[in-house]
Amino acid sequence: MDVFRATVVMTFRWILRDRVLHAILAVALLMILLVPALSTFSMRQVQELSITLSLSAISFVLLMVTVLLGASSVWRDIERRYLASVLTLPISRTVFLLGRFCGIACFIALCGVVLGAAAAVIISVSSAQYPSDIPIHWDKIGLALLADIAKYIMLASVGIFFSTVSTSFYFPFFASIGIYLAGSGSQEVYEYVSGQFGKEMGSVSVALFKAVYYLIPNFAAFDLKVPAIYGVPVLPAGLGLTFSYAVLYCAILLCVSSYTFSRRQFP
Amino acid sequence: MNAIDIRNLSKTYRTRKWGRVDALQDLTLSVGKGEVFGFLGPNGAGKSTTIKTLMGLISPSAGTAQMAGVPVGDARCRMKVGYLPENPAFYDFLTAREYLRFVAAMFGMSPQETQAATGKVLGLLELEGAADRPIRGFSKGMVQRLGLAQAMLHDPEIYVLDEPMSGLDPLGRALVKNIIRDLKQQGKTVFFSTHITADVEVVCDRVGVIVKGKLQTVNAVHELLAAGVVGYQVQVTGLSDFSGEGVEVTVRGGGILELQVPRELLSLTLEKLGSRGAEITLIEPNRQDLESFFLEVVAQGKK
Repeated sequence: MDVFRATVVMTFRWILRDRVLHAILAVALLMILLVPALSTFSMRQVQELSITLSLSAISFVLLMVTVLLGASSVWRDIERRYLASVLTLPISRTVFLLGRFCGIACFIALCGVVLGAAAAVIISVSSAQYPSDIPIHWDKIGLALLADIAKYIMLASVGIFFSTVSTSFYFPFFASIGIYLAGSGSQEVYEYVSGQFGKEMGSVSVALFKAVYYLIPNFAAFDLKVPAIYGVPVLPAGLGLTFSYAVLYCAILLCVSSYTFSRRQFP
Repeated sequence: MNAIDIRNLSKTYRTRKWGRVDALQDLTLSVGKGEVFGFLGPNGAGKSTTIKTLMGLISPSAGTAQMAGVPVGDARCRMKVGYLPENPAFYDFLTAREYLRFVAAMFGMSPQETQAATGKVLGLLELEGAADRPIRGFSKGMVQRLGLAQAMLHDPEIYVLDEPMSGLDPLGRALVKNIIRDLKQQGKTVFFSTHITADVEVVCDRVGVIVKGKLQTVNAVHELLAAGVVGYQVQVTGLSDFSGEGVEVTVRGGGILELQVPRELLSLTLEKLGSRGAEITLIEPNRQDLESFFLEVVAQGKK
């Protein structure tokens, strides 16, 4: 347990002392600070727009942080020759990878919570200036933030997986972005292919689309912005399924990552 | 049980153009407990491949290896091993002390043990002044010394050191040699690679020479040094002149005669000197050094 905890703490220190991330977080805070001013462009929905902009800004920043951390998680240690020092300590590669993942996941969660707290202040300020008929649903805003955090932790596991099979930074970086874009749109494509359009397509193509749909992470389920903004009810069963899916997907991907990383040679 | 046991170890790399490189070929080697073993070879001979295989960074194509009786593929094997990589690099966003704490946690050391051991190794490697500075500001020699400090932190039974003297200034080299001698006195096993024969001569019990992935020879260093004696330098006083077949004589200041005596003529020469009443003040062997031996083995291995 000490070995695992030490790996998580070391990962956390690495992230906290990374100057690129300092810059990203500074930009994030600036973006959130701009929300009240930008929200006033909507004459009648200032509160709604401030919630939308805040959640979108947080989501964008979490995406940047996740892709950078996930893609560089293993690559950086290889590129700077840290792995020769660390993997020769009595730590299994699986524990090392798991520690890395948990450190990154903790930071994503912390980042989400800190930015969420800043956003809460900003949303309160905006809605106080121009009160809306719709009350602020803090619980649903919190839920939307939680879903976003879960989504990006899933994406981090994707980045770590690509990082374990690649020797460069660019492949995991761009592959993670590609998976993010594909995963965000896969539900719509699936519904499109499953409908009338699918009947006009060849069965092989439909099967291929569906296979990709099941293979890549489905991020659409984690988008709870609309319920957060307008207070639309969210079904607890659906939520449970969504979070269970995130846990299962991460677990499977980490098992595969551990397998590939354990077989990797470091000459 | 040997500290290190390598049996028929081979490693083959596939190259991109369907070629293959035999980095290690059927290496069999044992290092006993308490032994200091020098692993000598030119660049690209397979020294680092052997060490990386021992440390689990590379899996062998064939053969087995054990350290402290545990197969090298098992992470537990490294519990009793201190490893210094070649040209080491450590998390440079950490300070030396933080890194040592991280290493201590990997070995399951308690906070008290960690504090005591950290202070001890930092002192031994003369890094106390830099202990709380980020590693990114360290010179190459300081990083090398930190590498040795982290290898010694948990007081392991076995040390595997890949080019431990690399990047060190003469003072640092002397420090490391002293540390290896101390480890030997404590009964620790040291397996270290180098291509500097002088290092082997000073600290090793045995030396193995590897060339092109094949172990060429394993010898006891004292035997090599004894076998390498080609003659003796003898200094005497009380004689104004001396002549003998095969003996070169030089007159030094202060009434000293210096004789270069071939190995096989030493007894005879000493008898002659004794009979003439000379006082012998110095007898020193002239030996072929390890470097000549090494170059000979490498030349044979490359044929």
